[in-house]
Amino acid sequence: MKPSLRPSFTRPWPCIASNFSTFFFQLPTPLTHARNITQIRHRHIHSSPSPPPPPQLASSPPPLLPLFLRPPEYTTTVSDLLEWHSWAKSLAASIGSSFEDSDNGPDSTLLCRELNWLMEDVLDGSDPSLMHKAVARDDPDTIISLKADVQELYSLWKQRIDERRPFQYIVGCQHWRDLILCVREGVLIPRPETEIIVELVGDVISKDEGLREGLWADLGTGSGAIAIGIAKILGNYGRVIATDLNPVAVQVASFNVERYSLQDKIEVREGSWWEPLKGVEGKVAGLVSNPPYIPSDDISGLQAEVGRHEPRLALDGGAEGMDDLLHLCNGAASMLKPGGFFAFETNGEKQCKFLVDYMQNQLPGSFCNVNTVSDFAGILRFVTGFRNR
Amino acid sequence: MEGLTLVRPFCCSNASAVSPPRARPFLHPLRLHQLPMACLLPPSSRVRSVGSVVCSTSNDQLSQSVEADSRDWAMQDFYSLRREVETASARVEDIRASAGLQQLEKELAHWEVKASDASFWDDRAKAHQTLLALTDVKDKIRLLSDFKTQVEEAETIVMLTEEMDSKDRGLLEEAASIIKELNKALDRFELTELLSGPYDKEGAVVNITAGAGGTDAQDWADMLLRMYVRWGEKQRYKTRVVEKSMGEEAGIKSATLEVEGRYAYGYLSGEKGTHRIVRQSPFNAKGLRQTSFSGVEVMPLLPEESLNVEIPEEDLEISFSRAGGKGGQNVNKVETAVRITHIPSGVTVRCTEERSQLANKIKALSRLKAKLLVIAEEQRASEIKQIRGDAVKAEWGQQIRNYVFHPYKLVKDVRTGYETSDITSVMDGELDPFIKTYLKYKYSMSMSANEVGQ
Repeated sequence: MKPSLRPSFTRPWPCIASNFSTFFFQLPTPLTHARNITQIRHRHIHSSPSPPPPPQLASSPPPLLPLFLRPPEYTTTVSDLLEWHSWAKSLAASIGSSFEDSDNGPDSTLLCRELNWLMEDVLDGSDPSLMHKAVARDDPDTIISLKADVQELYSLWKQRIDERRPFQYIVGCQHWRDLILCVREGVLIPRPETEIIVELVGDVISKDEGLREGLWADLGTGSGAIAIGIAKILGNYGRVIATDLNPVAVQVASFNVERYSLQDKIEVREGSWWEPLKGVEGKVAGLVSNPPYIPSDDISGLQAEVGRHEPRLALDGGAEGMDDLLHLCNGAASMLKPGGFFAFETNGEKQCKFLVDYMQNQLPGSFCNVNTVSDFAGILRFVTGFRNR
Repeated sequence: MEGLTLVRPFCCSNASAVSPPRARPFLHPLRLHQLPMACLLPPSSRVRSVGSVVCSTSNDQLSQSVEADSRDWAMQDFYSLRREVETASARVEDIRASAGLQQLEKELAHWEVKASDASFWDDRAKAHQTLLALTDVKDKIRLLSDFKTQVEEAETIVMLTEEMDSKDRGLLEEAASIIKELNKALDRFELTELLSGPYDKEGAVVNITAGAGGTDAQDWADMLLRMYVRWGEKQRYKTRVVEKSMGEEAGIKSATLEVEGRYAYGYLSGEKGTHRIVRQSPFNAKGLRQTSFSGVEVMPLLPEESLNVEIPEEDLEISFSRAGGKGGQNVNKVETAVRITHIPSGVTVRCTEERSQLANKIKALSRLKAKLLVIAEEQRASEIKQIRGDAVKAEWGQQIRNYVFHPYKLVKDVRTGYETSDITSVMDGELDPFIKTYLKYKYSMSMSANEVGQ
């Protein structure tokens, strides 16, 4: 299933078509706004169950179409683009390892890689070769079309370096598994590790038809990454409910679901953890989640791209980082059907071991085959298991 | 050889204004039968024998001044034609020698004996194969003798022209067209002979890795990358640097270049090995002479469907580079590199250019398969699992070429001995002589190996 290049913008992004030529001159707005929302929401989830403030979507955040989906409506000369490129490259080179030394941020090599990808996204299809030919012909005045104004490219790259705005927010997308997912401020950028959850589900459904045909749930779906990944491997079987408390995430996830034409297979619901699953208790074949799991005290020391720009709501798991994971473990038994499968991502090692122990000793008889699975770096990252039959 | 008579234009029938008419030279009777009919007819009424196109090249309306111009032109034309014929003749000799004509005739006899065996048709599949091989050999022998006939025809025309006082334009044009066609046929023949490996017609993936030697070696790797990109552009191949890891001060630590186009792999496969540079390093404060190395590795760029190789999962060690630290939500780095090692053979590939880990894993796996297929081919192993790991170890160990910038200029291939002092052109992608010489060298090596084997 390939994403259509021209997604229907009407439902999840009501004002894209009319507004998008004006909104990207007000770039800082979505950022600040999204953070306000997430902080409000964050207090809500970890403190009192009072009703959430009404969503303020009408006025903001302005819907940002990812660069690669924008029409190539700008033109520039090859020399202007190359001038920007060499400026951006030298800015990246000037960073050396200073980000890495201060907070394990990206070094020059990684920044240069990002710059290449930014070029990839901003150039229109066949244009890279056009550019090389122009360089080879020594014809710097060749006109090429771009998906953003060169001035905007300067400001985007400044944001990348000066503000440490994540690359994925700059281009508005993240390549994840075989998907290109739209992301933006307010939504967690899906991580490579999380790709493994889909693999784990793939292993399970290849051995159990019943699970393949069942109902799956991705709680705290963010960009919709796991839900879309699972829906794709389920093929013609089963269906998926993707939930998120954050309306921005619900909007982005819906957009991504539609882009992959999976709206008949994935239902995106807004609400906190079990809330949107009312009515399917005991019927869920599979439950997956990458909940917030970073201990609150660690947030301030995070890599700037993460700590300063990604939604705290999606990162902060309370004092030990276990608030949401424990909440999920406690509710999983009653939500899953007998033999149902679960997989949760954790902060690694300690949390994994704690959860295995917790499920075996505090929730005796509920689960079987509770296991830990390592990520690419060899860190115990996931807890998986089945509801007892 | 007296070249004086060549000063005349080809169209000589009305050349009296320029030089007095001469009697047509006597044609040696022995040569007559070898000549096309055309030359026996009077020039003015000539009908071209080949293609029977009416082609009256003797233009009676030519003014004197044009004729004077065409005289010079004609002379040069003849010289270059003669040179072309000589070259083609040498080439035909080369090809006939390196194709092992005697060997082929032996082979033909061998297959014919088999085909005439009474029990030949008992095994139909085998019989079919034998017949195919028989036709192949026959075709090849026929082609080789065709080449000889054609080049001899052109040679005769040239010789004849030299003996004649007047130049016959139609005849010379015919020789030129024979040579043109012959060269095309020779090119095709050479290509199919020299590039007959199973993957030769595919695109190529070129990996360049800087050897030890610090910045100088990294700069050298960058120069090599540029050289191959330029070469690819000259061949009108589509080239794409898919991965590049920059050196600290200058140059690159490694790079991966994809070259798309027919026969890219066939041409580039011989570039695999260590390339050595000797120069006064710009990165050496004292300006001392320095030697650096870079490794070049070449794999075919195989379409996914041709990689129907199953490698057991337990034979693969897959590692993903992660940005370090706690990982997961704590880190956001575009670090998606995947490295796969085929444990039994120790063959390793790394893929960093894709933007997701899964995409890198898929790409790395198909590169690994391509690499294993090539190694299997080289080792004449019928299956991946027969690959001998010990033989794979020195991946780009063998030094294949020296590039000396100082104290003199010389590029020399240590395998074929081919060398040139025009190092600038080589670095600008002028690699064809090296590539062709190597292919011929490889071909003759395999021929002599076959002879020993039989």
